[in-house]
This record gives sequence, C-alpha cells and structure tokens, in this order.
Amino acid sequence: MKKRIVTICLMLSMLVVGATGCGKQAKASEGITIISREDGSGTRGAFVELIGIEEEEMTTEAQITNSTSVMMTTVAEDESAIGYISLGSLNDTVKAIDVDGVTANEENIKNGSYGVKRPFNVVRKEGEENEIIDDFVGFILSEEGQKVVQENGYISIDDVQEFTTAAPKGKAIVGGSSSVSPLMEKLVEAYSKVNPEATLELQTSDSTTGVTNVIEGTYDLGMASREVKEEEALEGADPIVIATDGIAVIVNQASQIDGLTKDEIKGIYTGEITSWDSVGQE
Amino acid sequence: MKEKIMKGVFLFAACASILAVGLICYFLLVNGIPGMAKIGVGKFLGGKIWRPNNDEFGILPMIVGSLYVTAGAIIFGVPIGILTSVFMAKYCPKTIYRPLKTAIELLSGIPSVVYGFFGLVVLVPFVRNVGRSLGLGGNGSSIFTASLLLGMMILPTIIGVTESAIRAVPAAYYEGALALGATHEGAVFKVVLPAAKSGVVAGVVLGIGRAIGETMAVIMVAGNQARLPNGIFRGIRTLTANIVLEMGYATDLHREALIATGVVLFVFILAINVSVSLLNRRGQNG
Repeated sequence: MKKRIVTICLMLSMLVVGATGCGKQAKASEGITIISREDGSGTRGAFVELIGIEEEEMTTEAQITNSTSVMMTTVAEDESAIGYISLGSLNDTVKAIDVDGVTANEENIKNGSYGVKRPFNVVRKEGEENEIIDDFVGFILSEEGQKVVQENGYISIDDVQEFTTAAPKGKAIVGGSSSVSPLMEKLVEAYSKVNPEATLELQTSDSTTGVTNVIEGTYDLGMASREVKEEEALEGADPIVIATDGIAVIVNQASQIDGLTKDEIKGIYTGEITSWDSVGQE
Repeated sequence: MKEKIMKGVFLFAACASILAVGLICYFLLVNGIPGMAKIGVGKFLGGKIWRPNNDEFGILPMIVGSLYVTAGAIIFGVPIGILTSVFMAKYCPKTIYRPLKTAIELLSGIPSVVYGFFGLVVLVPFVRNVGRSLGLGGNGSSIFTASLLLGMMILPTIIGVTESAIRAVPAAYYEGALALGATHEGAVFKVVLPAAKSGVVAGVVLGIGRAIGETMAVIMVAGNQARLPNGIFRGIRTLTANIVLEMGYATDLHREALIATGVVLFVFILAINVSVSLLNRRGQNG
C-alpha cells in the first residue's frame, strides 16, 4: 500500500515537472487573446462606440474583467493579448498601439486625430445650492485645476475660467466612477491647499452609482466616466465636463504589432480576425 | 426577574441569525422573482445568450460554468484533502504536526483576493504554457485554472472537518481491526475512514459550498466569458462572477436579472444544505 502511494506521487510530480518543461518552449503563435471590460463599464461603452462595434457583435470568446489592473497584468504576461485601458492608467508594463496610424497621446487627442476618447464628467443636482461644491467645481475648471488634470495624463479642457476661492467652510461628499476617482483624488488634494477650510470626502464606486446618488442626495458631487443618460438628466442630473480621457489599445511589450486600423480592431473584437498574422502589416 | 431578562437576551441573540436569513430570503424573492417572471423562467434559466444591452438574459452558461468549476475543485481538492487529513490524524509524527496544522490554518485565513492575485500571476501563465504545449490552446484563464485555484481554497475546509471526524472515531475500531490482523493502512482506510464517512461527506459538501460561492478569486482567473463552455482550457463565467461584474452598472431589468441570478445561487446552496442534512439523517438511522 505504502509503495503504491509513493509510486503514484512520484508519477504525478513527474507529470507536472514534464509539463512545465515543455511549457517553456511553447511559442505564442496561438490565436489572439481578447480581453474586454464588463457590460456597462464606462471604458467598454466608450471603446465599443468609438471603434464602431455593435454590442451584439462583440465576440463571446473575449475574456471579461472588471478591473484595469487585471486587464494590464493579463496583457503584460500574454504575448498574444489585446486589451484597452484609460490612457491615464497606462504604464511601461504594456504597449499602447497606434490606431489608424495615430499615436495615443495628449496632443493627438486634443487636436482630434486620435478618436478613441471619452469625457470625464462631474455631476451636480440641478437647483441644488452648495457653496463648497460651487467653489470646488470652480477650482477644477480653473487654470490651476486643469494643470492637475494634465499632470496626471488626462486631457485638459480648452476654456479655463478665472477662479479665486470664496473659502467656504464645511464638508461635502464626492463619489462615483472608479475611472475618474484617481484624478479626483489629486484634484481634492490640490484644492485642500487652496482652501484648507473645506473637507471633501471621496468615495469610489461607479458612474451609475455616482449619478444616482447625486440625484438622491447622498453625494454632493458625482463622477461619471461617460455621458449622462437622458433619463438621468430628466431627474435633475447636471453634468460638467472636467477633462477628456483617451482610451489606449494595449498589447504585450513583446508583440510585433505597433499599430492597427479601427477596422482591424473591430475585426478582432467581433471575432472575424483570429490570428495576429493577418493584421498590422504596413 | 433577572433570569427572565437574560432569557430574553439569549432568545434575541438566537433569533438574530434566523432573522438575517429571513431578511435575505425576503429581499431575494421580492426583488428577484418579478424580474425572472418578466424575462420568463424558461428563457432565464435555459437561455444560452447573456446580452443585457439587448435584453437577452439567459443564465444557462453561468449555471453550467458554476457546476464545472465546482466539480473541478472537487476533483483537485477532495482527494488531497482527505488524504491529508488521514495523514494528520493517523500517520503524522508529532514534530511535523504543529507546522502542518499551522500552515493549513494559515491557508484558510488568506483573503480570497490574494488567492485570486496568486492565480492571475502564477497559475494563469502556468496553465497557458501547459495548454499551449499540449496543443490544447487557450490563454490560461480557464475552467482548469479556476478549478485548480478553488481546489486549493477548499482544502482547509475539507481537511479541518475530515480530520476531526476521523479523530472522533472511537479508538476501539482501530485497535479492533489491528487485533483481527489488519495492517495499519488496512485499519485506517477500511475501518476508520468508512466509520467517519458522514463527517467526511459533510466536509466535502462544505467545501462545495465554499467553491460555488467563491467570487473574487474566480473572477480573476476564469476569463468570465458569458457563453457555454467549449473545453476545460477555455474560460467560463460563474453565477457569482456574473453578479459582481455587472452589479455596479446595472439598472432596471438588468439589475433584477442579476438579483434573480442571486436567487438561483441561493437555491443551489439551499439544495446543498438540505442534501447534507438528509445524508446525516440517513447516516444516523443506518
């Protein structure tokens, strides 16, 4: 009995070791690993719309994740992967590719040649008066606030406003989209230097929760990484654009691909293109 | 007087958990059933397509996904779990019992998101390489990976319950078997383990409960494609993953459909618990 157990264990460990050994020689010439965000995500909504894919065309083979970090880790480790993230979250672990020959950077987004972008909104309730929020929104739209936007990799708005703080005292709650949240954190930090009297509490959830909670009065200021829907506007949600975010299409650092056309990206995400061999030739 | 007050306090404490279950049931049914009815029960449970934006709410892929992943976790976790607990109860020298027990307790204390991250960084690339070198394809985020990870996660549950069940078997059983000429192995596997059967089954079922309800770890390694599985090296979405992925954004019917998914999950867990108590009752009668 003992011997048999030992033999089985030995065989199992050999199998595992053998399998890993082979694994190292494996080539990444497999099909494309497509990674997408979950249904309803602001990033996905913007990506789908801008690339021109109908939701029902999206291939069911696409891997789905609800977090930017999982998306990036997966792409960073799989040579045949493609995904998309907010330009502000981009770092060296992955490679952003050109879309239609245009590089994803601030300049190209601002002059309109890089088309894969979306607005970052803050949402107020119509007719609701709040000194702190007035002051804070004023700060975001000022030159100083927009500098913070730029420093963090997002695209600032063009017409900045004059701003001097009225230094209101008190507390207000800002909440919503997890895409806008990292930027908002920096804005809150910068604002607290301008007006140390006010305390802004930042809560991170998602765009829909952000807008709903503003309408219901839980948040004083909401964050949304998408346009405000018609029904939401009817209930009194009043959006203000504070920045523009580009969406970077990303591949593995070791990938041969440097650029794709929108049609090729669409082909990949609809499942028509299943191999890297047939795309990216210039 | 004092006693009566204390009795009331105890009664209240005892009722709290029942109240909690009752409230959850009520919430699920009130919010989930209308949605299910609106979609159509058959379409909801048997539909193969999940496209909330086009008002198509079929959760069959997720039901099948949950079953596959859980079954996989059992295949990986149960043999290792039972053999480990046999070892700990009957073979283990005192010097390594302590560290082994501590390690297993530690394993159960690791947050599931940490398991998930481990799975994402270590298991996914490993499975991707194995899958590709064997010519099975896939990108590592798969039923196989999720099963492997869940198998790991349910180990402490299975080992804990099974070990105490084996220890609870009267020493006379083991000694009697030895007296009749059985070897150590024979006595352990043919006498003690069968005598501890109901405890072992309870441990396995608790493990199943944990596997089917696990969310964070699975979401990070399973791929989450909402379609019927087409191979164990391909991804799948589980019921729990479906709820968590889309809950934040869902509105109206989509939201109701997700709560209805919760109802289905609840029914699964209920069925598991009922089957445990049935098994236990049969064990006692027999």
